Amino acid sequence: MKKGWYLLLLLILLVFPFQGLAAKKTVINYWTHTDDNRTRIEDKYIAEFEKLHPNVEIKRVVNEASKMGDIVLTAFAANNGPDIFNLPIEQEYGYICNKRVAPVDYRALGYKSLAALKDDYAANTFEPVTMNGKIYGLPLELTNWCIFINKKIFRSVGLDPEKDYPKTWEEMADVSEKLVLRNGEILIRRGFDFRYPYYLVSFLPMVQQLGGDLISADGKTAIVNDQAWIKALNFMKEWGPHGRNLGSPTYINARKIFDKDNNDIAMCLSGFYQEGRLKNDNPEFFDSGEWMVVPFPVFEDAVENQGCAFYGHYLMVNDSIPKKKQKIAWEFIKYMLDHPMEYLTEVNLIQPRKNLVNSEFFKELPYTDVFMDDMERSKAVFLHQNGYQFEQYIREAIEAVMLSGTKTEEALKTLKRNIQEVLDEE
Amino acid sequence: MVVISKGVSTVPERIIRKKNDFTDDGKRRKNWSMERKKARWGWIFVAPTLLFFMVFSFYPMFNAFYMGLTKKDLLSLNPPKFIGVKNYTYLFKSADFWNSMKDTALFTLGTFLLLLVFSLILAAFIISRKKLKTLLQMLYYSPALLSSVVAALIWLLIFDPRGLANQTLNFICQSPGIDHKWLAASNMLRLSTIIVYFWKYIGYFTIIFVAGIGSIPISIHEAAEIDGASRWQDFWCITFPLIKPTTLLVSVMAMIQCLKTFSTQYLFTTAGAPTKPINVITLNIYNTAIRDHRIGRASAMSMILFLIMIVLTWFQFKISKSDDVTYM
Amino acid sequence: MNNIRISPLRIWDVLIWSFLLVFAMFIIVPLLFMITASIMPATEIMKLPYPWISKTFQWQNYWFGLRGADGSFLFLRNILNSLIVSSTVTFTTVILSALSGYGLAKFKFKGRNMVFIVMMATMMIPFEVIMIPLYMVAMKMRIQNTYLGLILPFLTTAFGVFMMRQFLITFPDEILDAARIDGGGEIFIFNRIVLPNCGPAIATLAILTFRSQWDNLLWPLMVVQSEEMKTIPQYITKYMAETHTDEGIMMAIAVIASIPMFILFSTMSKYFINSTLYSSIKG
Repeated sequence: MKKGWYLLLLLILLVFPFQGLAAKKTVINYWTHTDDNRTRIEDKYIAEFEKLHPNVEIKRVVNEASKMGDIVLTAFAANNGPDIFNLPIEQEYGYICNKRVAPVDYRALGYKSLAALKDDYAANTFEPVTMNGKIYGLPLELTNWCIFINKKIFRSVGLDPEKDYPKTWEEMADVSEKLVLRNGEILIRRGFDFRYPYYLVSFLPMVQQLGGDLISADGKTAIVNDQAWIKALNFMKEWGPHGRNLGSPTYINARKIFDKDNNDIAMCLSGFYQEGRLKNDNPEFFDSGEWMVVPFPVFEDAVENQGCAFYGHYLMVNDSIPKKKQKIAWEFIKYMLDHPMEYLTEVNLIQPRKNLVNSEFFKELPYTDVFMDDMERSKAVFLHQNGYQFEQYIREAIEAVMLSGTKTEEALKTLKRNIQEVLDEE
Repeated sequence: MVVISKGVSTVPERIIRKKNDFTDDGKRRKNWSMERKKARWGWIFVAPTLLFFMVFSFYPMFNAFYMGLTKKDLLSLNPPKFIGVKNYTYLFKSADFWNSMKDTALFTLGTFLLLLVFSLILAAFIISRKKLKTLLQMLYYSPALLSSVVAALIWLLIFDPRGLANQTLNFICQSPGIDHKWLAASNMLRLSTIIVYFWKYIGYFTIIFVAGIGSIPISIHEAAEIDGASRWQDFWCITFPLIKPTTLLVSVMAMIQCLKTFSTQYLFTTAGAPTKPINVITLNIYNTAIRDHRIGRASAMSMILFLIMIVLTWFQFKISKSDDVTYM
Repeated sequence: MNNIRISPLRIWDVLIWSFLLVFAMFIIVPLLFMITASIMPATEIMKLPYPWISKTFQWQNYWFGLRGADGSFLFLRNILNSLIVSSTVTFTTVILSALSGYGLAKFKFKGRNMVFIVMMATMMIPFEVIMIPLYMVAMKMRIQNTYLGLILPFLTTAFGVFMMRQFLITFPDEILDAARIDGGGEIFIFNRIVLPNCGPAIATLAILTFRSQWDNLLWPLMVVQSEEMKTIPQYITKYMAETHTDEGIMMAIAVIASIPMFILFSTMSKYFINSTLYSSIKG
């Protein structure tokens, strides 16, 4: 027993010194989130890039998406951030505000000017990452969400998916009511369910449809148009177990089970990438054509016709690394992103490059027209240095009305107070 | 005094006998130089651990104390700004902070009492059995062998509206189809976290109590039986007072464990459960630092938690010290 | 007289046994759920009511779990990492705790009580509190993505020191003095006389330490980013969040992840349970 311990210690002491012994190469750390399809193609690009630049080594590190924000943040807080990383733009915005990321080196990317770079991409692509005339990231993907429908379940309750699909939120609730199967109060099959934690992407646009907003135009007052908020919150309340009991955040994520076609969810909210996952996870269902995509619904008395907010993952470069290294980092990003077609066909990510989105090939892919049309009437996701915190406050408000049975007015009051406090502090 | 002597007997008796060969005078002189030598050796033995704690506990702790007096955005490159006790005054006025205090108090009190009472009862019952003593203890301990992540994984599926929790409760209450909202309704959610924690740690404390009760000399029980004490009287008048040290140990440990709870609440909230009812202080600290980037405020909160733990532990020692037990 | 008392005793016996068994059910049902679900297709796990025994035994869940979504068998590597980290930490914790526990219990020196109290105070520090300063220390030492980074902050615990001290306080001084007079050096005494007599305490501390390291999630999340260096809890949370989530495979992974702990426990449980050790731990 004791001998075993000593052997182990010896072994470990022997292992350690060798870990530090690597050749003197420029090492670029690239942190990104899990996506097996993307890993496959990016590993290929890395190998190719390393061949072209023998003195460069790219270390690609994968983190699970929901923890990625925390991990990158702690690393930056300790001044040890990765050289290249991507996060949802809502979270990346704070890095721009705090000057933690470097502006795009358009020369390294092979452009003559910033305008030339912008011209390569669809309009407004860079709006979220532009500050004081500089651009701080290149889009890995730009995504908006629409409604995925399982046609079989629609027909099984006597609905025609092509005609009866919900166009308004009121219809969404009514159609779902017809689609649900329950055992007492327990939902066995849901009609539709939301993507709960992502309230800035999918819930705030619902408020905006009704003419409300999170923060006033001058950025000083929280919660614009209480009535819009109350109506949207009430809709969520009606949706939850204290109302019509159509779904709740405690059930399994709708998007995850949609692919299985297991008769437990009829509709879910997701992006174009869902098609790729569907094809992977359940090719039979994908090929059967028993699914379709329809636009994001709008309230009956909406004052603004708006879809789900679009968000992006932008590749960014750490500002605290030497300029020379930054240049290599941008070159590598450029090398990866120069394969928009593969990102589209292999990973189902849309990189909004003009020559891609205008191509015939793109237009003929299933339902790209629905996504693109919806994107046109949508806004970019709400951006603020404390955006992520605001999202959590909205989450608390919705959980309070949906699950804890708090009065809507009261939940709104708390929400307003919390956000106002953050605004006043600045 | 409760004393154990297991294992010590392997030391050869020869050594013990030799000691008596020394004269008193030589012993004293020897002792004096030995005392100094021993003091030095004492430090040598303690030093590695002390050094370790300095780097990996005290330094970060002092750092946290200093950060608690400053304002800093975790992402910002600006150095922290000294603001005195403003973080503390803010916290004492913040409804969110008091809500966390309440959640922590509810969780700790609920879990702590359940753990204490049930581990004592289970231990007393197990001791009174003639068969399967070890097996029962192993069985009760087995959940502690799973990691928190695995435990949360299992219980999240059990607490799913379609899961076993609803099925079982509905079977017992004969109320088919009721959704008890284990992960949704505030009080049920609190109960759920308590159940997970209780399930995980009950075995451990039961084992400690079994050992504590087992160490009471059998002669005392026999004497009581001769005096005509019933089982019940025996437990209340003999066992219970005599295992006071164990009770103290269990209560201090259980309390610290409960106050430090994090992963169950963290994993539940990330899986979709509402935060507010189970926003215990540790979770609030984590969110304030990581989500809100407010490292100063988070540090202040953690200093308060640290203080609470120290005070509660001191208090428990205080009330148990009032009358010490000895039976040897 | 005995004959008269038998019947109430019988009733007591039945009551106590049924209480113990009902409680055992509560403990064991979630474990049974994990094991039965691990060989079920995901579509059956969420059925109402839960089918305890599935019609189809999906043993391949284990294969898929081990193989991983991308066929890389990273899980095996991550198990190895967890084993290396947990056993090293257990080893150092036992040694350092025994050393300082011995020093505190058997040597009188100035400031001894202070040292003890200060060490005990670290037990009250929640990890979340010192997480970020600690991370900065680790970064300065450049130990991210290494075993050293996973191990160093956990070399020993205040609880271990406390336990060893309480255990050794009752160790007979006569034996130590006699050994000294015999000319044994302090290191020799510690190695040959003190340590071999700490069996039960060491076994208990080893199980508790191993368990808590096996469970460690937050620190590895922060300090390790490369796939090859991740530990089991990290692997599980990563798997949970992936798109291919399948409850059956997830439970299979959970079972595999728990096996090493069960093996360790079953080999050492005879010390852990039934040891009179705990009674010596008192204030």
